[in-house]
This record gives sequence, structure tokens and C-alpha cells, in this order.
Amino acid sequence: MSVFAYPSPLTDLLAISLVGAAATFFAGKWARWVALTTAAVSLGIVIWVMVNFQLGTAFDYQFVQVVPWLTLSGGSGGIGVNYTVGIDGISLPFLLLSPILTIVSVVYHWNETKNPAGFFGLVGLTNAGLFGVFVSLDILLFFAFWEIVLIPMFFLIGHWGGPRRHYASIKFFVYTHVASVVTLVALFAMVFLGGWSSMDFGGSISTAQVAALDTKNIMVVPQVLLFGAMFFGFGVKLPMVPFHTWLPDAHVEAPTGGSVLLAGMLLKMGAYGLIRIAFPLLPYGHVNAEPVVLGIAFLSIIWGAFLSLSQRDLKRMVAYSSINHMGIVLLAIALWTQLSVTAAVLLMFAHGLVSGLLFLLSGSVHHTYGTRDIPSIGGMNSRTPALTTMLMIGSLASLGLPALVSFPAEFSAFLATWEALRWWVFLPLLGLVVTAGFYLWMLQRMAFGPPRGIPDKATDLPFNEMISMGLLVALIVLYGILPYLIVQFIPHAAIFATQCFHGGSTVCTSTP
Amino acid sequence: MSFDIPSIAQYTPEATVFIGVILVFMLDVAGIRSRAIIGGATSIFLLLAFLQVLADLGSWPLQGLSTLPAGLLGTQNGPVIFTNFGLIFQGIFLLSALLVALASVSEADGEEVPTFYALLSLAALGMLFVAISADLIFLLLSVEITGIATYVMVGYTRKDRRAVEAAMKFYIIGALSTAISFFGASLLYGAYGTTSLTAFRALPANSSLALVGFGMVAVGLGFKATLVPFHMWAVDVYDGAPASVSAFLAAGSKKMGLFGIFIVFVAAVRIFASAQGFALYLALGALAVITMTVGNVMALEQTTMKRMLAYSSIAQAGYMLLGIAIDTPAALAGATLQITADVLMKAGAFIVVGAAVGLGVGPLITDWRGVGHSRPGIGASFAIMLLSLAGMPLTLGFVGKFYLFFAAVEAGGYFTLLAIAGLLNSALSVFYYARILRYMYMPESTGSATAGAHPLSHSSLGVGNAPAAPAWGSVRDEIRGTGSARWATVVGIALLLLVLGIYPTPLIGAMNSAAQQFLTLGL
Repeated sequence: MSVFAYPSPLTDLLAISLVGAAATFFAGKWARWVALTTAAVSLGIVIWVMVNFQLGTAFDYQFVQVVPWLTLSGGSGGIGVNYTVGIDGISLPFLLLSPILTIVSVVYHWNETKNPAGFFGLVGLTNAGLFGVFVSLDILLFFAFWEIVLIPMFFLIGHWGGPRRHYASIKFFVYTHVASVVTLVALFAMVFLGGWSSMDFGGSISTAQVAALDTKNIMVVPQVLLFGAMFFGFGVKLPMVPFHTWLPDAHVEAPTGGSVLLAGMLLKMGAYGLIRIAFPLLPYGHVNAEPVVLGIAFLSIIWGAFLSLSQRDLKRMVAYSSINHMGIVLLAIALWTQLSVTAAVLLMFAHGLVSGLLFLLSGSVHHTYGTRDIPSIGGMNSRTPALTTMLMIGSLASLGLPALVSFPAEFSAFLATWEALRWWVFLPLLGLVVTAGFYLWMLQRMAFGPPRGIPDKATDLPFNEMISMGLLVALIVLYGILPYLIVQFIPHAAIFATQCFHGGSTVCTSTP
Repeated sequence: MSFDIPSIAQYTPEATVFIGVILVFMLDVAGIRSRAIIGGATSIFLLLAFLQVLADLGSWPLQGLSTLPAGLLGTQNGPVIFTNFGLIFQGIFLLSALLVALASVSEADGEEVPTFYALLSLAALGMLFVAISADLIFLLLSVEITGIATYVMVGYTRKDRRAVEAAMKFYIIGALSTAISFFGASLLYGAYGTTSLTAFRALPANSSLALVGFGMVAVGLGFKATLVPFHMWAVDVYDGAPASVSAFLAAGSKKMGLFGIFIVFVAAVRIFASAQGFALYLALGALAVITMTVGNVMALEQTTMKRMLAYSSIAQAGYMLLGIAIDTPAALAGATLQITADVLMKAGAFIVVGAAVGLGVGPLITDWRGVGHSRPGIGASFAIMLLSLAGMPLTLGFVGKFYLFFAAVEAGGYFTLLAIAGLLNSALSVFYYARILRYMYMPESTGSATAGAHPLSHSSLGVGNAPAAPAWGSVRDEIRGTGSARWATVVGIALLLLVLGIYPTPLIGAMNSAAQQFLTLGL
């Protein structure tokens, strides 16, 4: 185990983002500056961590810190709960994405007038909770942060959201809370049936001990049941068809910045839980459940695409296209090879940037044109060229144009599908065709053609919105041309996740 | 079976509280009726007793000040036994009385003030005896000391018709339940020839008479603990009584009933596990699940804050009953933790509701609209209490629930179903707690979940009707409205919920070992 330093920079990251978020609430008119500074400082720490991250030296978590927290009476001799943080190449991209999207949200809402201190504080709190989810290596700590993220998002949707915000916020809260509750029971049962002595799933133990965290002594049937419960719990967050119905309501009603974090980060928590816990720790479970998981993945891809196709509301269309994209992520996770898991993580990183941009665009279209109804707007390019350019970049990135970040991700996902399933790959490709279709159709109707439904005073993007979108576009292009910048971290951790548990292959015991 | 005069030192907490009662009566005779003086004196005596209990438990930094003779813990002395488990509950009971005593300093002066504080201390005294009882008759008599004191407390204002009605109802139901309990105790005496709780543990299940006896004792204590179906009185009484008394009933008196059930049934489940196998566990588990479900479902449709809190309190009793229905050290420790959390949450919530009048807030849940913005201190504290009641992380309510359900999953098999039922209930309860948060922080809330026009027809940018940002001036106003003692109590409870939610390590440690001893060493 490479215990980096004491305390870990990850603890600094958590502490600074929490304190910064708390300070934002009391900062009055300086709230936006406090929020921006906090997010920028946390981004700086993440970049420092990335620079100091050791690539491919050992199959270990890095920057680990373990502090004993509780001892629960249970099992033989009690079960330890520790404050354990650490990261590997799978969590690192999310750690980078979270402060970026926070900065983007804060800048986009720079001139927020409705209780700005509260808004920026809650955005900062969401960011802090997300950091917690992606650095926790203890089941209780992970779950605690997982739940904490819900609370600021509930208030963001409920107070700053659209007309049906109260309904949407409660639906979001209860729907995802029920899912987490099911997950929690399964996590407990895994700890007991596996005979664990602590709730740690990676930080305080060496690689060899991770290999010995042998949930294989859980019989096949209970393991499948546990996997089913976790798959449901994490899958609701993803979301997967048929448990996706909270998503359109929550996304459409959330304020723009809230949607960015919701689509960019909160959906990823579900997939992260699958990659980090459900799949590696329950091998019999995912092997036996694979047909179901694949079926749901295909269903999500196709169903999400066709649902998007039928939407008139731009924001709703983007929300449904998230179901389609997260379906591809689920497919890549289900294949469970090094390539596919790498693709899944990269795909989520890409989707975080692209869907963030698209939600910003829906917000800007709405307040520029007074509506998001696609058929009633036309000829945008003549009135708001900057907005239209951004919309085109966002749409093209979402449908996977080469040189933009989604392309390497989707390409490797489909390559992994071809390797594992051969001709089945045409099913998700069909979804991709539909996705391309609805984005291009939307562009054709909204951006070009005769001007329709344009108010007299349609002004182009304000400066702060331009900056926040520009930041995302720059990253989309940068990581599209040089995907290596982020991909370099992932494959090594992907081998570890897919092969090294349960005394897996020999590759794991030696340093590569 | 002899009482040792020098060992009176072991009763220091009880004696302290009793001296407090005498003092309050003397002040009354002297014509002093000021809340500040009488409430302050009572709070000091309760605090001293509380600190003494902490010292007896050996908690930092008071470990040297214990007055318990060495070797006393765990040995029965007549009808009395001192255990760590009982001492923890003494602390819990004193805490509930202390919080209520502190908070009610801010209420109006009047001629009934000494009555209220004397009764509060007397009720606490009865509860202290409950926590050390080793004999069924001693237990039921101690329960009755508290019972009689609380019957009077509910109606102590005398002028409020609803409070008097509630007091009558409480008195009649309470008397009935005590009678049933004593009848059960007499059946147990008939079956076994003893009423010693420690002796019960070693006895065989030789007659169904004993089963009926335990059942009747449970009915009597179940009334106090507001278990369904013996909960009917609770909502009307909590609703009708002054809020500070409701706080004490929900935070203190109910926990006494649960503790009674714990110490009686730890014997009963052992006696009948051999004969009836799983039946008693099933019955207790079913009682717990029914209690939490009924409480939560009824709480969903309440429109007044007090009734909603009353039903939520009933639901919480269901979670706590899981401690004995699962019957493992982890479960009992989890239940104790949940009880501690609930003392803080429920006392705090009822105190907040009692302060509502001073804040200009009505009795309906919808009257709390915007309170989060206009009363930042009380609003945030109440929000923390509600989040804790809903079991959100970083609060003590989460730790308690988490530990209980963890224990249920650990026990495995049928008990996992209890965990699932409990967790689903917990998810259900989020509905009504989130609804209050919504009113408090989203003041333009319409009340109808589906209200609002087509999503495309309105701005979703959230511009307009901005609530005033929290300002220190409004905090001063709210302290003036609620009274400084009450305000400080509420904010203190909220902080305690957060601090103990993040660092429950010492609590968990103490409760683990106490529960372990309680289940293995004999009572």
C-alpha cells in the first residue's frame, strides 16, 4: 500500500470544499466569489493530485489515509468502520470532472438573483459530497456521502427549479432514497456473508488482501440476490430503463446549474458504485446476471434514443439522451473487460462535459427565446450566432463526432462490445444512429430555416454564459484530440477492478 | 435482601433530583414563582444528577467521581441492580428532563410554575428508579411514579380545556394500562413464585400462564411506549398538552416504557425461545413493523405539526422496539443509540413547536412556510432535527438507524426482513419530513404536489420573489420571540445532533459494551 502522506491531500480536498461551501452560505454578496474560489482551489488540488499520481507502478489505491472511526459490535470481534480515503485511475476522472462542472455552474449563474448565497452554497455542498463519494474506500463512508449529495440537490431543485419543482424535488429525493436503502441492506449482507472484519473495501489493505476479500465464500444464489439488490440500487441512479422516470422530471425542473451537476456527476455515482463495488466484489452475481444486465443496457440505449426523438422540449430531449448514453456505459460495464471498463469511465467523463454543455445551452435558449419548444423556434443562427455555434458543437459532441471527446469513448465502447458480443454491437449502433438523427433534426429545425418565434430583443450569449460554455467546449476539444491526457490513468485501474479480485490472475501480484 | 445504610452514596443522582423537588416546593411556599429561578434551580439539580450518572459510567473527564461502590455493578441488591445499561438509560432520562426544564424557562410566569417543575423532577425520579429496577413490582411502581406525575403535568395549566381533556384521557388510559400490568405481574408470580426479573431469566417455560403474564405486562408498558395498537391516546395527548410537556412525554416517558419492555422481555424471549421457538421473536418483530408502519402512514396525512410529530414519534418507537425483537448486542446498542438520538430530536422538535407562538407561527404545517428564511437559527436547527429524524447521514439519527438495520442484517434470515421493512419505512418517512423542509425553505410552495402549469410556459430560471437573505438582525428578533433559554436549547440540540452524528465513537463504544453485558451477564 502506498500511503502517500499524512494527512492525505484528499482529506484537504474534502475539508476545503466543505468549509468553502459552509462559508458561502454566510458570504452575502461575496457568495459567488467564495464559491468560485473554493471550486478553483479544489480543482487545483485535484490537478496537483493528478500530477503526482503514480502511473502503473502498483495495483494500489494512492493517497490513502485511514483513521479509525467506529467499531460496531457484530461478526466475530466487531466490525471496524474507518475514515478511509484513497483513489485510483477509475475515481480520478470523476474527481477532475466535479470541480470543473461546479465552476461552470457557478459562472453560468453568476448573476443569480434568487438567494444567491444559498444557491452557490448548495452547489458547493454538492461538490463536496461528490468528492466524498469518489474518494471513500469504506462502505459506510461511501454510503454517507452518497446520501449527503441528495440533500443539496433536493433544495436546488425545489427552490430554484422550474414550475413543477416541488413535485420533482420530492420525487427525486424519495425515488433515489428508496434505491439507496435497498443498496444499503445488500452492502451489509455482503459484509456479513463475506465474513469481513471491517467495512473497508480497499484502502487499509494490501493488494493481496484485496484478492483475499473473498466474497466467493458467499454461495451463488445469495450472491446473485445481493448483486440484484445492488444493481437495482445503483441502476436507479444511473438511471436504467425501467427505473428512469425520476430523471426527466428532476432534470427538466432543476435550475441549469443543478442539471449540469445532476447529469454530469450524480448519474455517474450509480455507475461508479457498480464498477467499484457490485461487479468486482460479487463475481458470481454479475456473471450469472449478465444476460439481464445486457438486456437492460440495450433497452436503455434504444428506449432512451427513441424517447429523445419524440421530445419537443429541448431540455427534456437532452435529459432523455442521458438515458441513452448511460445505457452505453452500462453495456460497457456489463462486458467487464479492461477495455470496456476503460471505455465506460471515459464515456462518463465525456458525457459529464457534453451533457453539461447541452444543459447550459437549454438554459440559454430558454431565457433568450422564452421557450424551449423545438418546433416553435427557427433560424437561430441569424439572431444568436454564438449560441447557435455552441449548440452545434454540443450536439455534434453528443452524437460522437471524431476529434470531440465522446468519439474515443464511444468508439472504444463499441470495440469492446464487438470483441465480446460480435454482431450484437449493431443494436447499440442503432441507438447511436437515432441519437445522431434527433440531434441533427433538432439543429435543422432550431438553428436553420426561416426565423420562427424569435422575440424582438433576442440578445446573444452574455459574457459569463459564454465563459462557462467556452470552458466546456475547450475541454471537449482538448480531450477529443488528446484523449491520452485522461485515458492514461484508467486502464491500469481497470485491470485491477476486472481481474485482481478473488485471487484472480497472476498479473496482479507483480508490479507491472 | 437487606438495605445497607452506608451504601446510600450509590443513590446520589436520585437523591440530587429529590432534593431539587423539595427545594422547588420550599420556593413555592416562599412565594417565588419566577421561571428563571425555579426553572434554573431545577435545571441545575438535573444537570448535577446527569453529570453524576456520567461519572458513574466512567465517562471522560468525570471518571474519578463515581460514587458507586466497587463491585456493585451487576450484582442484585434486593429489588435494585446497577448495570451500565441501566446507567446509560438514567443518563438518557435525565437528559430528556434537563432539556425540557431548560427550554421551559422561557415560558410565561404563573402560579403553576413550581407545580410544573416539581412534577418534572418527580417524573425524572421515577424514571431513575425504573432504570435500576431488578424486580417487576419495583419496576411497575417506579413507572407509576412517573405516570402519576405526567398525568398531572399534561393538565397543569388548568385553564386550557384541551389540555384538561388530554389529561383526563391520559389518566384513564394510564390507570387502565397500569392495572393490566399489575395483573400480568400477579399471573407471573402465580406461575413462578417470584417477581425478580433476574430470576425469570433462568426459569423454564413451564406454563402458558407465564406467557399471558408477560403479554399483559407488555400491554401496560406498551401504552407508555406508544406501541400500536396501544397508541391511540398518544396523539390526542401530545396534541392537547402544552408543547413542553409533549416534549417530555415523547422524549422521556416513552423511552421509559421501552426500557421496561427491554428488561422484561430480555427474560421472556429466553424463557420462550426454548419452548415456543421463534414465536415470540416473530410477535415482537411484527409489533415493531406494525408500529412503525402505522406511525409513518398516519403521519403522512397530518396537517398540524404537533399531530405529525406525535405520529412520527409512534413510528420511532417501532424502530426502537427492534432492539429487543432482534435480541443481539448490536441490535440493543443500536436501539439505545436510536433512543438517545430520538430524545434529542423529539424534545427539540416539540420545543420548537412550543416556541412557534412566540415566532408568530400557527399550528398547521403550512404555517411554517418561509420560516427557514425568516427565522434562520430556529429554522436551520429544526431542519437538522427533521433530517436526523429522516435518518440522513452526518446526524445522530442516521447512526442510530444505520446501526439498528446493520444489526438486523447481521442477525440474518428472518431478521433481514425486519431491516428491509424498517428501511422502507424510513424511506416513507422522508415524504413528510421533506414536505416540512419544502415549506420552510421553499416558501412559495403551493401545497399541491402536481400544481403548476406546463413546463414550457414559465420561466424556470428562478428569477423573482427572492426571500430576504439571512441577517443577524432577524436572529436577534427570533431570540426575542422564543426566549433566550429556549433558543439556546434548540440550537444546542441541533449542534449536538451534528457533533454526535459525525463522532458517535464514544457513544457507540459505551453502548456496545453495556448491551453486551446486559445480554450475557444477567440483567
